[in-house]
Amino acid sequence: MQSVAAAPIAPVALASQSSGGAAPQAQPSDQGRQIDYRAADAAGEMSRRFFNAQQFAALRRLSDILMPAIGDAPGALDASVPEFLDFLIGASPADRRQLYRAGLDALNTQSRRRFNKAFADVDQNQADELLAPLRAEWTYDPPVDPLARFLRAAKHDVRIATINSQEWSAAGGGSGARRAGGVGQYWYTIE
Amino acid sequence: MQKLEKQYDVLIVGSGASGGMAAYTLTRKGIKCLVLEAGPPVDFQRHRTLKPVSELPYRGFGKPGRLPHVFQANEFNANTWVDEEAAPYTHDPKEPYNWVRVRLVGGKSLFWARMSFRLSDYEFKAKDHDGFGDNWPISYADLAPYYDNVEPIFRVSGRKEGLAQLPDGNFVDDNSPDVEAVKRIAAAGKSRGMTVTKIRRALGDGQLASSFNLLLPEASATGNLTIVPNAIVREITIDRNTGIANGVHFVDRVSKRELHAKAKVIILGAACLESTRLLLNSKLANSSGALGRYLHDQFYIPGGVVAVIPEARDGRGGRGLVGGAGYVPRFVNLQKKEKNYLRGYAFDFYTGGTPDAKYFPSWGEELQKSLDSCRNAGFSATIMGEVLPRYENHVRIDPKIVDAWGIPVLNFQCRYTDNEFNMARDAVETVGEVCREAGFEVLNRNEKMFPPGYSIHELGACRMGDNPKTSVLNKWNQCHDIKNIFVVDGSSFVTGGTQNPTMTILALSMRASEYLAEQLRRGDL
Repeated sequence: MQSVAAAPIAPVALASQSSGGAAPQAQPSDQGRQIDYRAADAAGEMSRRFFNAQQFAALRRLSDILMPAIGDAPGALDASVPEFLDFLIGASPADRRQLYRAGLDALNTQSRRRFNKAFADVDQNQADELLAPLRAEWTYDPPVDPLARFLRAAKHDVRIATINSQEWSAAGGGSGARRAGGVGQYWYTIE
Repeated sequence: MQKLEKQYDVLIVGSGASGGMAAYTLTRKGIKCLVLEAGPPVDFQRHRTLKPVSELPYRGFGKPGRLPHVFQANEFNANTWVDEEAAPYTHDPKEPYNWVRVRLVGGKSLFWARMSFRLSDYEFKAKDHDGFGDNWPISYADLAPYYDNVEPIFRVSGRKEGLAQLPDGNFVDDNSPDVEAVKRIAAAGKSRGMTVTKIRRALGDGQLASSFNLLLPEASATGNLTIVPNAIVREITIDRNTGIANGVHFVDRVSKRELHAKAKVIILGAACLESTRLLLNSKLANSSGALGRYLHDQFYIPGGVVAVIPEARDGRGGRGLVGGAGYVPRFVNLQKKEKNYLRGYAFDFYTGGTPDAKYFPSWGEELQKSLDSCRNAGFSATIMGEVLPRYENHVRIDPKIVDAWGIPVLNFQCRYTDNEFNMARDAVETVGEVCREAGFEVLNRNEKMFPPGYSIHELGACRMGDNPKTSVLNKWNQCHDIKNIFVVDGSSFVTGGTQNPTMTILALSMRASEYLAEQLRRGDL
């Protein structure tokens, strides 16, 4: 019933009615037919603005662990996911900003305590130990433990930010085996 | 020069399923109708375009914090929901209510999931079955002829089953065969009294099954319809000499210009809670004290049970195995009370999808292997439980907060109780068992329902009844207190059952409108 392949932040109860049909899509008359517009990501790079250097380094390592490049599919780092999440989380309400900052700090703290190094420098086995909370069964209510709560959010966000990236779209065209970022009916602001 | 005619027989607030059906029914009988719709008209050519998610500004996440209550919103459709900043409402942070609104010509009927069911006397005469609450003042037999007339307009597809708790409709026959996975659920559920039915769904014109394309154009073609978009109704006005309603104050959404429109009869079809809000703000129709009370819906647990169909793993699921869906109507507490709760639940399920990554306790390559293996091999059930209508669950006007047009907003006091919690637990347990008996591997079970309102089936806040001391409307959706005000949306429900309410809303609106037309013809209004 879900009509679009956008971020499944929650299941969609209402199906967009026309999604199943094959109606030809007329271009809005105020969009030039001859001009091929591209989104901002085609033109520029993002840089860190919200997280501090330690947090961002941990986020880079975590993103790579959660969503590595596999085969011809790009990974989170290829899709600039840490930079995108730096923007998205920085633009989010306070509780989400706090969840990420505290979670990344906790990863660094635990990593130093157990392995005497920053999370950015842990190897795969050490990372697996620190990410153990993700082995818990999914429950509707998020975990109470702040690190577990953060890891659950990060697993979702990193995955979706990767799958919905331009890089994934470009690579997904040749790979029928993996879901590419979806094309959907975008609604303009209705005034 | 001729002065413009501005006196209407009937003024209808709202252009969605209920308001649209009132306009459709009345204009075809030669009655002059004015429809005031709070939102703008939709132009599908102008307002939508195909875009890849990677080109959206927030990569599909949507603008953070914009629609905190609309779990259905995503970045593609975010601009179609009511802006919560412009039109807020309030609740205790610990007791959220997800009030999901659309203000467009056609209302929520532009976006509904098109699930089309009839209620039965298990709902209309619910008190007779288990002693709780109240019966409706009408029975299934009263409404059946209207379902018969509404279903062909919306072209409801379905398969006749002969079930007392889910009466068959006037269907476009669905003779498609069930896939193997659906048959296995049916076999496993049979000993528990479950019947797997085809999902009954409004086909409409194939693209859209909305007031916007099926009702309003027909009404407009009669020449008896005047429809004004962007008209937000603030208050119903009363003639001081007669004590009956004579029109409404409304405000132009864009310019905020204030106007007054006159009519002989007012019909509210603004959806349950906006109609209730309008009556509360007008300080009308509440001699019973029931206005805003008995708010109920259906509790929803999307993904209540998520499973994998082993034979379909690793790309082995052919068309005959997975890819089908089913709907299991209520089957418990029908003959006798057999559970630690009253009433019952329904569920629908889909086979052949891929379970969400969150259900796998892994990440990285390990997660990707699991997802690859389970691709198109999934099973997911959504539990839909009846919520008992309780006096305590209510909305009222929040005296401190107004919306962008200066209209006082609603405060919600609504929570689920042990009856719903016990039902949810049993439902998830039972559906999980059926899955295992069908040979499926259960990945996850969740008995925690989404917040009240999530189903977008809010009902009951102007309930109907024969007793004016305990109900707002009579059995014709007509206010006990003021006979020329009708409320034709879901707010008239006494109990909601487990069924999606739209067909019942449409049937009730048609029935009330035919009654009203007859009253007008006889000069009784």
